[in-house]
Amino acid sequence: MLAIGRDLAAALPGSSRNPIKAIDDKAMDLASQDAELRAALFRFVDVVPACRSLDDLASHLSGFLDEVGDRPPPLQVAMRMSESKAGRTALGAAAAAGVKHMAHRFIVGETPREATGVLEDLWRRGVATSVDLLGEATVTRAEADRYAARCREALDGLVDVYRRLPERPNLEHDSSGRIPRENLSVKVSALTPLLRPDAPELGKRDAAGRLRDLLGRARDLDAHLHIDMESFDSREAVTELVLELLSEPEFQDGPSAGIVLQAYLRDSPELCDRIIAWAHATPRAYPLLVRLVKGAYWDHEIVEARQHGWQSPVFEVKADSDRNFEALTRRLLEARPSVRVAVASHNLRSIAHALAANRAMGGEDGDVEIQVLRGLGDDLQQALATRGLRVRTYCPVGDLVAGMAYLVRRLLENTSNESFLHEQAAGRPLDELLAAP
Amino acid sequence: MTDLPTFVNEPIGELRRATVRDELLAGMQKLEPTLPLSVPVWIGDGKREREQLTSTDPGDPDRVVALSAVATTDEVDDAVEAAQRGFTRWSQTPVTRRAEILVNAAAWLRSRRAELAALEVRECAKPWSEADGDVCEAIDFLEFYARGAVALARGKPLFQVPGERNEMHYAPRGVCAVISPWNFPIAIPMGMTAAGLAAGNSVVLKPAEQSPGCGYMVVKALREAGVPPDAISLIPGEGEAGAALVEHPGVHTIAFTGSGPVGLSIIRAAAEPGAHHLKRVVAEMGGKNCIIVDSDADLDDAVPAIVSSAFVYAGQKCSAASRVLAHEAIADALLERVAGAVEVLVVGQADTFGIDVPPVIERDAQERVERYRALAGRQGRIAAERAEGLPDHGWFVPPTVATDLPRDSPVLNEEIFGPLLAVERVRDVDAALDRIEELSFALTGGLFCRNPHTVERVVRRNPVGNLYVNRPITGAMVGRQPFGGNRLSGTGTKAGGPDYLLHFVEPRVVTENTVRHGLVI
Repeated sequence: MLAIGRDLAAALPGSSRNPIKAIDDKAMDLASQDAELRAALFRFVDVVPACRSLDDLASHLSGFLDEVGDRPPPLQVAMRMSESKAGRTALGAAAAAGVKHMAHRFIVGETPREATGVLEDLWRRGVATSVDLLGEATVTRAEADRYAARCREALDGLVDVYRRLPERPNLEHDSSGRIPRENLSVKVSALTPLLRPDAPELGKRDAAGRLRDLLGRARDLDAHLHIDMESFDSREAVTELVLELLSEPEFQDGPSAGIVLQAYLRDSPELCDRIIAWAHATPRAYPLLVRLVKGAYWDHEIVEARQHGWQSPVFEVKADSDRNFEALTRRLLEARPSVRVAVASHNLRSIAHALAANRAMGGEDGDVEIQVLRGLGDDLQQALATRGLRVRTYCPVGDLVAGMAYLVRRLLENTSNESFLHEQAAGRPLDELLAAP
Repeated sequence: MTDLPTFVNEPIGELRRATVRDELLAGMQKLEPTLPLSVPVWIGDGKREREQLTSTDPGDPDRVVALSAVATTDEVDDAVEAAQRGFTRWSQTPVTRRAEILVNAAAWLRSRRAELAALEVRECAKPWSEADGDVCEAIDFLEFYARGAVALARGKPLFQVPGERNEMHYAPRGVCAVISPWNFPIAIPMGMTAAGLAAGNSVVLKPAEQSPGCGYMVVKALREAGVPPDAISLIPGEGEAGAALVEHPGVHTIAFTGSGPVGLSIIRAAAEPGAHHLKRVVAEMGGKNCIIVDSDADLDDAVPAIVSSAFVYAGQKCSAASRVLAHEAIADALLERVAGAVEVLVVGQADTFGIDVPPVIERDAQERVERYRALAGRQGRIAAERAEGLPDHGWFVPPTVATDLPRDSPVLNEEIFGPLLAVERVRDVDAALDRIEELSFALTGGLFCRNPHTVERVVRRNPVGNLYVNRPITGAMVGRQPFGGNRLSGTGTKAGGPDYLLHFVEPRVVTENTVRHGLVI
């Protein structure tokens, strides 16, 4: 395991290109060190797309900075600028450009068509993708229909992009057979306005029609459809919906489809067993792809639980999630060929562990897919591709308004003192990073 | 008794887990064979049961939930006399013991949470999550005021000089009349009653005629926990029983939550002095609650929060949203999304998980809301309503969004207390504040805005008792959001807050000369 980890680390591009150091906006560095400043920055980033003018933008910025006690010199300059109309316009323009620039690191384009270049470039460099359509929250039926329509168009668009591209055998096959090039991730919460935590049936029923239609489209195009997991509130509805639809005879021969398992959930081992049992009992032409993640809603789950006086559904200590991730990795690998396994993490240790466990079981490297996020896992993606491993990059598409929730989440992750990337950037020795959690 | 642990809110049921939902359903199974409940006039050790008042399920008016006796004026007199006797004993019970008994009552409720929630589902058509939340709030009130009374008994420090000892303490006032509504059928009567009892008063409770069964459970919990029978009596009935209680010269404090007109009549009646005292009124009345949405609001947050604030429990909360004042830059987008969200609301029986809008409480309420809906259609425009598929049995009203209403429309100025929301377009936040300024209510308000300067300005100018920023405007929690309104919305008292008990006591100061023969002894 250590050998694999060291080898991957050696393949990483120079440390100057580390995502955290590379973020040219110095604010991010400052933000990592100062909680008040970080709050101000994130609240500002969050409101940028809703500002009506540069003046409005600057007024918001100065409002947030007002609340920061100890302002570093560049921000004092910003505060002085906000005192005059001309200063505000300049400040607003600079701030908007900064946020846009930041967003482009994580979001590959406003539309799938606009993202074509990035997707092609990645493929040529040996990197597969999963495209995710960012959107505003779905609160109406029309919004659910619109999202479903965008997903259909995206599937068609992906076919156009990928059919022109050269063969990449390690991205297109594993020992279970073919892997579609076109890969779209969808969110159930965007497919229905009726997700209710206390009535999973309601949202399931409403989303089923739209998801069935998308599955049908993906099958006809022979594309992969991945159903993302979101907060614990919708976990039951999403899990049941996916497993029930994929049990329908019309989807037995396709499409290739997948589900997500979040290792930060305390009860994820039970869910893992449930998914595996389903997969054993439900033979499909394409084995169910299980994407194993740590989970992206940790703060939300903790806040929600504290506000209601509940035990949080997630592990509160990061090492517990990391350990569980490894245990689940092994379980999923053992469940092949009924499932395919994708390990989604930026943690070198978690990835090395998965590759080592797979080899120890006698598996081929090509039977484990590694997934990373655009903008956060770029260096890792490069290293994995260099070593000939199958890496898939999750590529969000959408405009700034729609992308803001995603962007703020990524920025938070990027500045969290606990994240692997942060520790790596801080120069923690490789052997410590690769130590068992 | 040892010190009570620090207060924490009772965790509401985690209904996203199927096991927790099953517990509630089991509570309903346990409750149903016991219906209809027989609710007595319950004074001291005497119970008089008779079937004079019927409470029914708003979702199925043929289903009788409780059969209640109705207190006569003589019985009201008896209840106050019993309370006067009860006061002597209860006020002298050490505060730590009183606190212990209230904490026992909380435990009694806690051990019957599912059945009590089920009773609220049946008697008041509270949806499960709301019903469970109400029982939890009743528990919170008991735990919170028990601690508050112990703290209050320590008095307040005064300046001291040599030869003089000054002490300030708080004494209970006497007999407390509690007149409670049906919309929080256990929490609100329990809150007002627990405050009175914690401070050492005796209490006579007159619950709403729509929810005598729930009112009975409040008194039962307190008696089972050890409150002496004379210190807490139950006089179910309609308006007459309440009026007789308010007018009784033996009553010292009147704690009321309910409609504005009734509240004002209580305040007028209470101007007449009691036997040897002035009466004090703690009143929580109506609202006309506005949510301001600024141009920079995150509509992804604002729309669900507006919809839940306006339509959860069919808008029958005094804190519920009834007007949205939207900045013109986002008004169209907001209205379209709110309308779309209302069109997919789930209207249905309160005992079904996942429903958004249950029936309203009674036929009168249904007719009242329908009148306002018709008026809104005539004076303005109905932007959305969820009318199809409404159950034909039960007091259902389609959740409705109206717009383009004239400024003086009753729809914009009167409390409707039902699932009807008006959306207005305003030039900016200041224009919205001008409209709020014109209202005689000032209970709750909301603001969706991400500019700290604007938030500050709205906080300064908005007169409401409870202002919520970037979140729904209902769901105040004991100890976290002390609740109550200003202007004609109430006497400015804050239930579940640190000052609430002060309304149930009178301050007394004792100054003792400690100088004898020129020496401080």
